[in-house]
Amino acid sequence: MIANVTGMKCNACGTVSYPKHMVCPKCRGERFTDVVIEGEGTVLTYTDVYALAIEYETRYLRLAIVELDGGVRVTGQLLADKPKLGMRVRTILGIVRQGGEGAIQGLQFVAV
Amino acid sequence: MKPVYIAGAGMTRFGRSEWPLMQLASVASLAALKHAKLGDIPVDGVVVANMGAARMNRQTALGSALVDQLALYPATAESVENGPASGASAVKVGFQAIASGMADVVLVTGVERMRVVNGLEGTDFVASLSHPVAEYIYGVTLPSLAGMFARMFMDRFGVERKHLAMVAIKNHANAAKNPYAHIQQTVTMEGILTLPEAVVNNPPIATPLHMFDCCPVSDGAASLVLVSEAVAAKLGGPKVRIAGMGQATDTHAVHEREDPTDLKSVRLAAAMAFDRAGLTPQDVDVAELHDAFTILEIAESEASGFFPQGEGHKALERGETQLDGTLPINPSGGLKAKGHPVGATGVAQLVELTWQLRGECDARQVKDAKVAYALNFGGFGNNVVASVLQREVS
Ligand SMILES: [Zn+2]
Repeated sequence: MIANVTGMKCNACGTVSYPKHMVCPKCRGERFTDVVIEGEGTVLTYTDVYALAIEYETRYLRLAIVELDGGVRVTGQLLADKPKLGMRVRTILGIVRQGGEGAIQGLQFVAV
Repeated sequence: MKPVYIAGAGMTRFGRSEWPLMQLASVASLAALKHAKLGDIPVDGVVVANMGAARMNRQTALGSALVDQLALYPATAESVENGPASGASAVKVGFQAIASGMADVVLVTGVERMRVVNGLEGTDFVASLSHPVAEYIYGVTLPSLAGMFARMFMDRFGVERKHLAMVAIKNHANAAKNPYAHIQQTVTMEGILTLPEAVVNNPPIATPLHMFDCCPVSDGAASLVLVSEAVAAKLGGPKVRIAGMGQATDTHAVHEREDPTDLKSVRLAAAMAFDRAGLTPQDVDVAELHDAFTILEIAESEASGFFPQGEGHKALERGETQLDGTLPINPSGGLKAKGHPVGATGVAQLVELTWQLRGECDARQVKDAKVAYALNFGGFGNNVVASVLQREVS
């Protein structure tokens, strides 16, 4: 099973933050509930990056920042063939990197 | 705060170096010390800026190592690591030491030796400053953050690839006049953008950014001698004062910023530096901006207060930021062509501006420069240091 990507919802003010912090950036609250980061959203920006830090099987990696419906933003890998600003995508979970400790799972985006 | 002066400035040529790390640091330091003509006035403290020696050169505690190389014992010694803003942060540490009265003479040296590792390792080393869970694991590198920033910024403000090319052409032309620059070769719009061969000459790095939008990977060191008012008076000579420094941080993950096209930390750091200096962006005669990527020179020129938002590329197009323009930006060639030994960069920007204010820049001298501004951009904008320098006329 692939573990979900989680953010945090502040118990005091309800703000959802991703990635997690130890203190709520909105109200400085310190108690949170985990929320699963997933769903549909809009591509804010993307890049095809050829300057890679480790070997991938492809020559370049397509990365994007997506604003999920509800307002939470995430960075992840865009699997769409014809990327466009403002295109609609949904999150899936996949292997995003082969690390020293094995495969690392994270968010990928596919067109809807 | 007591006033702080820059009495001397020196650097190595940037580029690929065979010299070991501490030789780079020592050569730049000795050049700055000679420039300051300290005579028998002792150095009270040494601050070394560096980002990656622990990983790439397997050396730590660089401040102590430099004291030893230069036989400056028992001077105090510190090392400062603040990502790509390490250089200006180290200058700030030296500034604070003198402004507080704890020291009269502080040597600040930035150094990086990164060509010793291969390209993947070097890129991964810099990428390690990104958010480990929300960015790094996805293969995020600094070029990819710049590419995503560029696409949003260009779409929003109508910046085109030709504007990015104009930054590169200008900075390469300036670097060709700078004997310390890594790349001393001019480039043309045809060669990097409009001719069919440009596709080969200028391949994509992180779209929409191409090779000539990105700084080279460099080795090098740069050094400043900071002194108190009493020492500056004793030394005589041209007086360049650090009139104000400002710094601001922002979210680690770029996507978490309210407006990812807004360089808020740059705005805050610049405003703080100008406020402390009692000056405004309109007073600035020459600026060194952190153009690790061409798009950043345009965005930083706006966020620093030189041009309204969305107008930076228009000022560039009008030639205002050329060497002979109303506000020359990156007369040294910038990171783009002078090079970017990460820990040295923030110091090197102030070395160039000190020389500019003293009128020592020969072919790339900005005429009669009195006020100068530097912006050292750390992380991808999550830690930014701005500095305002002023030449005092006696
Ligand atoms: Zn809260």
